Amino acid sequence: MPVPFLAKAVDSTRWSKLDSRAGRTALLIVAAGSVVLGFVYHVMAMRAGAPPSAFLSVLYNLMVMAGYGAIGLLLAFRFQRRNSSPARVFWTILFFGLIFIAIASYITSVGREVDEALLDLYEAEGEFDYYTGVPRVFVTVIKINVLSLLGAVFAFYVLIRIGSLVLFKRTKLSQRNWQLMLALFGLTAVTAFMKSPQSDPDIYQLVALIPAIGFMVVNSFRASWIVYMTFQEKLISIGLSMLLLLCLMIGLGITSIANPLPFLSDLRVYMLYYNYVLYLFVMLVLGFGVMYTTASLLLLLFHLPTTGDFQRRTHERVVMQSLTNLVSQAFDPEKLYTTVASSPVEAGTADTGWLAIADPKTGSLQPDIVASANITPNRVTRLMDIAALYGELSASRSSLYLEQASTDHRLNVRPGDGFSSLLAVPLVAREEMLGALFVTKEVAHGFEKDDIESIHMFAAQAALALDNARLFKEQIEKERLARELDIAREVQRKLLPQSAPRFRGLSVSASNVSAEQVGGDYYDFLQLDEHRLCLVMGDVSGKGASAAFYMAVMQGIFQSVGRLAPRPIDFLRHANAALAHSLDKNVFISLIYGILDIQREEFVFARAGHNPLATINLHGEAKYIRPDGIGLGLDRSGLFERSLQEVTLPLQPGDAFVLYTDGLVESRNLQGEEYGYDRMLEAMRRHRDEEASGLHDALIADLRQFVGPKPYDDDMTLMVLKWHGIDVPTAGHATSHHRTTTPQASLLDTKP
Amino acid sequence: MSNFSVGFRSNTAIEVLDLNGELDAHTASELEAAIQKCKNEATYRIVVNGANLQYISSAGLGVFMAYIEELRAKGGDIKIAALQPKVYNVFDLLGFPMLFDIVDTEAEAIAKFNHT
Repeated sequence: MPVPFLAKAVDSTRWSKLDSRAGRTALLIVAAGSVVLGFVYHVMAMRAGAPPSAFLSVLYNLMVMAGYGAIGLLLAFRFQRRNSSPARVFWTILFFGLIFIAIASYITSVGREVDEALLDLYEAEGEFDYYTGVPRVFVTVIKINVLSLLGAVFAFYVLIRIGSLVLFKRTKLSQRNWQLMLALFGLTAVTAFMKSPQSDPDIYQLVALIPAIGFMVVNSFRASWIVYMTFQEKLISIGLSMLLLLCLMIGLGITSIANPLPFLSDLRVYMLYYNYVLYLFVMLVLGFGVMYTTASLLLLLFHLPTTGDFQRRTHERVVMQSLTNLVSQAFDPEKLYTTVASSPVEAGTADTGWLAIADPKTGSLQPDIVASANITPNRVTRLMDIAALYGELSASRSSLYLEQASTDHRLNVRPGDGFSSLLAVPLVAREEMLGALFVTKEVAHGFEKDDIESIHMFAAQAALALDNARLFKEQIEKERLARELDIAREVQRKLLPQSAPRFRGLSVSASNVSAEQVGGDYYDFLQLDEHRLCLVMGDVSGKGASAAFYMAVMQGIFQSVGRLAPRPIDFLRHANAALAHSLDKNVFISLIYGILDIQREEFVFARAGHNPLATINLHGEAKYIRPDGIGLGLDRSGLFERSLQEVTLPLQPGDAFVLYTDGLVESRNLQGEEYGYDRMLEAMRRHRDEEASGLHDALIADLRQFVGPKPYDDDMTLMVLKWHGIDVPTAGHATSHHRTTTPQASLLDTKP
Repeated sequence: MSNFSVGFRSNTAIEVLDLNGELDAHTASELEAAIQKCKNEATYRIVVNGANLQYISSAGLGVFMAYIEELRAKGGDIKIAALQPKVYNVFDLLGFPMLFDIVDTEAEAIAKFNHT
């Protein structure tokens, strides 16, 4: 992984006003003016041989502070947007440090005898007046100006570059610490304002120094960049930081009194006599540079051995984070299984992994290994009793960790088999175990606490994904079934009569409601000739698809046998025989079948186990007529035929016949009370003057009122026939139409 | 959800099934399982006591039809006893009294077995 960006050294938002073209020009003028005027000041002092007046001295000090402040800001703007790796930061500081030391060393030696420079560090003071510190020769004036500028620029550079490291991945606190340190540097430096370079440090200086050093230490341990480095980058940085440490120590040495190398002349006095405040600031910065480099070096050394672990952890995290993508794989269960089984292996947490899923349909606990990584399913089953392990997980719903797999009786693992520790985690979603994830390691005690935690986290995610996949599949299946049922419903609707028969003097109305998409109720008409109408109503036992299937069979029988053997008993006998081959043992059909003959003015019917026929005449005499007869499909011997009874009813104008299925009379209200036969007969009496559709609607309305707002729980069919008499003037103007009272209901009627 | 249950009482070679609640398309499988259990235990003589049977649908009646042929072939039978009038009416509409022995009391049903 490449080392990412480094943060900006300076808070650019706050200083953005200065960081404009005009602002920079102004800073440049201040900086250049201060450098030039500083030079003039020292030349004047040299010429006079004595320090200028106190007033000029104060002005000079203020000017130097402003000027170098401007230089610092200019440098900060110059480098603030430079993002580079820690190794590069170390390298550039080292590079400029060496240049600084070389130039400084050369300049200090100018105008001095070589052997003189080697004597001792106080020798240089020969260039200054012992009491006033005023430079004696022109070359010294140049030296103090150039060396101070050089030292200050280098110090600023060090500060800015290290600042970028300190503020890497900054927090509010770390940024505040950094700004406080800079402020304390400034404060400590200002304690030297107007102080003689020769005087001893006073108590204020020491007091100001303590917090500054404290914050130097705090900031030195800001090294967040370390964790993002690779092993190699760390090695390079260690080498560079060692060299840099050496370089900065020399730099600090030659600017302070502790010059470490005798062949390098120190520039302390030059900077000190240029300006005490600036000198102190440079010292603090270089001191901080040494401290930070030392801390970095140590931290790098300490972090070196754990680099691999950190990288691994990062990788694991990346892999585990990719699990959020698991959810999107719900469309492809196979792919999902593979991802679940292989992710712990890819993350490096485990050596092998597999996913076992017990088929919920069979209900058995014999799991299938649906996906595996680094191991074949066959090998897994050979090496262990996967069903026993799965069973235990299923019972306990918690994970199972075998630290030494070879000691477990369920495993047939020998040391050479490639794994010695096994972790099994049940995948549980919505309190249901969907499968189990098994992971192994080659070594015994191979899973650490954090490994187990991350596998657990992964398992939870995986369980969710599996659950989603399952729900998705179920949803698809559901939608497919719904579509099929829609088709079935449409087919069934077409099996029912599309229009009511038209007979002079007769009105017919019928409707059908299914509790489910399809139902087992059946009614139909068959016009035999000008004056004879066959009609049928049946109810297949049971509900739903199987009932609907037999209802279709019944329709075929009615439409064919009805024509060939229209007499009720003949029809029922043939129908029973025809159904004997196709009906299941536990399925039967109740049927009522009749022929209405308007020429002979009679209605002949028979009943095979169906609800009795309800009739009412003009005078309100209502009754159920229930001839004997057992249901179709209940008996295949002669018993069926012997049981049948045919009833002939003469037709009188005003007679109404009501055929229905048990769903109607057995409809219950919220109190569990049945609508019942009596209520229906009562309703028929009340509405006996209506023609068929009016009576039909009145009966349905009466039923709805009784039942209340409750869905149908059974198929329900109602047919009303009303005989108005042959000489009704409106006869012959029969119309038929379809009405839909509920989505599943169909209704048709004719008016006389 | 299910408001139907089957109780078992063994009376020598006769199994008495006490039906409770409502026997419809949803609960039919429970009666099926009960009869299947009798069959598995080689008890082919079954008395169904319907004293506590509140309701029966056509799917419930179908259960009797599903097993009767086989039980009779093995020398057994299902005899139905103590049905409430409303439930009896459903049996009666379909002509079950012509196909099954439907009697008023359990004792009567058992007696019918012992006579044959």
